[in-house]
Amino acid sequence: MTFSASDLLVLIPLLPLLGAICTVLLGRRLGARAHLPAVVGIGAAAIVAAILLGGTATDVASGGHGAAPRPVEMITTLWRWATVENAQAAIPSDGPGAAAILGGDSAASLVVPVALRLDPLTATLLTIITGVGLLVAIYSIGYMHDDPGYPRFFALVAMFVFSMSMLVAASNFLLVYVFWEAVGACSYLLIGFWYTKPEAARAAKKAFLVNRVGDFGLAIATFLLWMTYGTLDFHDTLAADGTILPGILGQTRLADASGYVGGAVGTAICLLMLLAACGKSAQLPLHVWLPDAMEGPTPASALIHAATMVTAGIYLITRSAPLFVACPGALTMVSIVGATTALVAALIATVQNDLKRVLAYSTISQLGYMFAALGTGTMLGFTAAIFHLVTHAFFKALLFLGAGSVMHAMGGVIDMRRFGGLRQVMPVTAATFLVGACALAGVAPFAGFFSKDEILAALHSKAHPAAHGADHAEARVAAAPPTAGAIRPSAAQVHTRGQLFQTVSRRSDSGAHGAAADPVGLDALDHPSTWKVLFWMSLLTAGLTAFYTFRAVFMTFTGPVRIPKEAGHHAHESPRVMTAPLVVLAILSAFAGWVLFATDALAHFLSATPSLTAPAVARTAVPHVFHLDLAIQGTLAAAIGIAIAAIGHLGRRSDSPQFERYLGPVGTLFANKFYFDALYKALIVKPLEAVALLSAFIDRTIVDGTVDAIGRVPFAWGAAVRRMQSGLVQRYALAGVVGVLAIVLALAWQLRP
Amino acid sequence: MIPATLLTNALLVGAVLFCLGLVGILTRRNLIVMFLSAELMLQGVSVTLVAWSRYHGDWGGQVLVVFVLTVAACEAAVALVLVLQAFARTGRLDAAAWQSLREDNLPRAIDRELPAGDSVVPTWPRLTPAGVRPEADASQSLERDHV
Amino acid sequence: MDPVSTTPVAQSGMLLAGSIAALASALWLLLPKASDTIASRRVGALLGALALAGFAATGRSLGCVGEDAVFLTVAAVAVVSGLATIVTRSPVYAAIWFAMALAGVSGVLLVLGAQFLGVATIVVYAGAILVMFLFVLMLAQPSGMASYDRVSSEPMLAAAAGAVLLGLLTLSIGRLSAAEPAACCRMPSRVEAAAAAATGTVPEASPLPAESGGNEVAHLGAQLFGRHLFAVEVAGVLLLVALVGAIAVVSRGEATEADHRREDR
Repeated sequence: MTFSASDLLVLIPLLPLLGAICTVLLGRRLGARAHLPAVVGIGAAAIVAAILLGGTATDVASGGHGAAPRPVEMITTLWRWATVENAQAAIPSDGPGAAAILGGDSAASLVVPVALRLDPLTATLLTIITGVGLLVAIYSIGYMHDDPGYPRFFALVAMFVFSMSMLVAASNFLLVYVFWEAVGACSYLLIGFWYTKPEAARAAKKAFLVNRVGDFGLAIATFLLWMTYGTLDFHDTLAADGTILPGILGQTRLADASGYVGGAVGTAICLLMLLAACGKSAQLPLHVWLPDAMEGPTPASALIHAATMVTAGIYLITRSAPLFVACPGALTMVSIVGATTALVAALIATVQNDLKRVLAYSTISQLGYMFAALGTGTMLGFTAAIFHLVTHAFFKALLFLGAGSVMHAMGGVIDMRRFGGLRQVMPVTAATFLVGACALAGVAPFAGFFSKDEILAALHSKAHPAAHGADHAEARVAAAPPTAGAIRPSAAQVHTRGQLFQTVSRRSDSGAHGAAADPVGLDALDHPSTWKVLFWMSLLTAGLTAFYTFRAVFMTFTGPVRIPKEAGHHAHESPRVMTAPLVVLAILSAFAGWVLFATDALAHFLSATPSLTAPAVARTAVPHVFHLDLAIQGTLAAAIGIAIAAIGHLGRRSDSPQFERYLGPVGTLFANKFYFDALYKALIVKPLEAVALLSAFIDRTIVDGTVDAIGRVPFAWGAAVRRMQSGLVQRYALAGVVGVLAIVLALAWQLRP
Repeated sequence: MIPATLLTNALLVGAVLFCLGLVGILTRRNLIVMFLSAELMLQGVSVTLVAWSRYHGDWGGQVLVVFVLTVAACEAAVALVLVLQAFARTGRLDAAAWQSLREDNLPRAIDRELPAGDSVVPTWPRLTPAGVRPEADASQSLERDHV
Repeated sequence: MDPVSTTPVAQSGMLLAGSIAALASALWLLLPKASDTIASRRVGALLGALALAGFAATGRSLGCVGEDAVFLTVAAVAVVSGLATIVTRSPVYAAIWFAMALAGVSGVLLVLGAQFLGVATIVVYAGAILVMFLFVLMLAQPSGMASYDRVSSEPMLAAAAGAVLLGLLTLSIGRLSAAEPAACCRMPSRVEAAAAAATGTVPEASPLPAESGGNEVAHLGAQLFGRHLFAVEVAGVLLLVALVGAIAVVSRGEATEADHRREDR
């Protein structure tokens, strides 16, 4: 590379941060131009990200096309954040833990450097984050004007872009955790942006609390990682004495097939990470916050709750791919969670009437798709998930911004049943929304079609390993526990007196595969029949997606023109500053998928990510082919969905009876979102309330009672001695004399001969 | 004369005077008598100071007694004025007449048992009348038969 | 008399305790109370005399002759008059008894060789301060003996406290005389210290002031207007300030109706 990439990498988080700070400091003074610092900061960051993407791509290409991808990464260590000397001493000596793995005392202290990394995965995500962030910020200039919190909004957006870019650029699990929390905080603040609205405040709280569950998982996973691997860094570190300290995802460990711990500990780590990802990416059962998060401003929904933050879970799992691959059970769980979420969310979305909620559930559903792909644990699955992440960022941001445009023009109304024929009022919005809908539904040349096809292919390859050739067979073998010597740690794993932590001693004779890892019960899930079910679930989801997407399109934009009276007389197309981002995103949604798929650029690019160059993953790479049979199946499902939507809604009044009237009790189930909220209320909220009431009772009566009783003691004492305050001077003087006498007597007693 | 004996004698006298004054100031209710008691304490101190001064052959003690005299004079002037003011307000020279600093909800302290009359009937000194008895001014009823 | 060898410590302690008890009882009996009788007062007087004698014995100061006889006389006058001052019901009599006590104190001072102070006490106290007291009494005292002159506040406790204090003081004075005075009690004066520093010798005996009276006043005057001139000036200013203050308080402090109401709270 001809430029100093490390400097540029630092600029990407730094510029939005500066923008946020400037907005905070100057926001009131800038007034209507308060968007400038944020937009300029994010825009500059986007340009830098694009440059870095190009640079990284050049780097990857220099490794040669077709050959086994060479890992490309660059680490910039800014400063050392924290050092805990002798941290390893906390581990009991009879369970040597990580010290044995690392072999040496050099890792005995916990060192947390603030290190940023640049690799294909990070570069891709940085580009998405800053790019979509820029478009959303520009859009917000129009959408948020006249809002009293105008500067605050842009400060938060810039802050979010900073946090998110740090999250994907951090090269340390602890830093990832920090910014994992930071994006959660930004999300909380943006959902509760209109904090005077009770629903918004409630939704913000809900999002934050539900996310805490996932964050808890990430925290425990981080602890376990430290205990197991003795480091939290992704990258290898060169010690002062020339030895290499292997990072968790460092190339030293990646190169060695036995570098990762499986078994119970590995599975625990992976499942905890999955929990974290479920929280942030709104997967079952922690998905309940995302629909409510639509109470926030629509641009925030587009940026955070559709395009970027919710993909943090995808990022985390992709980044930790080698860890997951070592634990097939956990990996399968990822797919099961993903496919189930996708189906459930799609079913719920079919009966929603709130346009933004349809999109929210569709987001959950699409994220589930990505999870399903990740769970396959193959190169195809990982790249397909990221591919879908990219295209989804484009078209979901487009759809959200389109919905925001509709909402903006309709005076804040978002209920689809009150709209109709809006394409005549808002042609640009309608056209771009249609493009986005086609992309989401997977209509042939649009972006979603290709990425969804990849995901289906990844699932299909797991369900029918034989049909996909020898590579897949090998992958199947690699992922299966009993004979997985190549992947399993070539070591004896010893349970020490029921301890959770296992000792992994690296032996010099790596051929000694004697004792394989204890198979974990979950591993049994990794069976072709499971994958077959998941495949069909995903295919069904594809059809449902097409149905609810086009149901929304038909209800909103077709039929007789109906405009809610809140819009007033001047229902109109949104201003240029709002439609321009729509058009850009529409173009991307229309062509990006085809370009990326046809050239196989993204997949090849991503395969140079260090995590994905692990032998266990890299071995599963397959030649790039277009699976015509799967494409036909997917398109068929989409076509059926669109057709049903057209039968039900095309050209009709949007408030006419819906399909769910044919569904009976099942429709009620969908409309009530599978009773998740009610279930949580009954299982968690109510018992907690009972505990809280009990605590309050104990606090008021026992604790407060004790304190009050103690408080009454001096009161009573005072009431007793206050009689001495007679106001008579001579009694006071007498008291003084008696006191002096006491002192003199005491002294005389002490000084007696 | 043995200096040490004289010293202890004088010190003892000073101590007795001091303690008597102390008891007086603590018990007597009349503000004037309280002041007399205070002066008695000062006298005790003066005697002690002079005794030590004599014993040590140092003039400092006697000089200090001079200042004690000065301060006693000042104190008498100011304090007696204040006593007069107090008397003007309450009509009594009673130290117990001033109880404003007591706790809010306490009742005012009053003497529970008062002597019905003088148990010892004072015999006042009388001068033998001589000359013409002055005309009593009926308007001036402030005349006292005793003090 | 040698105070150390004759009296055992235990006997001295008993004597002291008895004296304290006797003095406390005497004071309690003599102080004005509601339940006074002539008999109780006489018992009190007797007890008081006993107690004073006991204190004197405890102080081991009896038995001297010559000049000590004079001292005993004036000391007895001072102490008895002091006792009478605090137990007399009538404040006027109290003032007169106080004058008597002043005369005794003056005598003690003269015996101690402080002629100027002896005379000054009489002149300043008896001549000026006491007359002022009497004037105030004349101005303030209502007709008849006031009720508050016939009761005391906390007589028993105060009497006990006073007696215990006197006991303590006597004890320490007795211990003072019991020990070797020149070794443990005497501090060298500054004059001595200066002389010792000049000559390089430590004086053994106390250089008592000259017995003759003529030099005494002159020495005191030299001290006052020499070393302590500034303090004398300050004392003069203090007198002036007290004068001005007294006049200011008198001229301003007219009682109002509101004041009366406040006092009668």
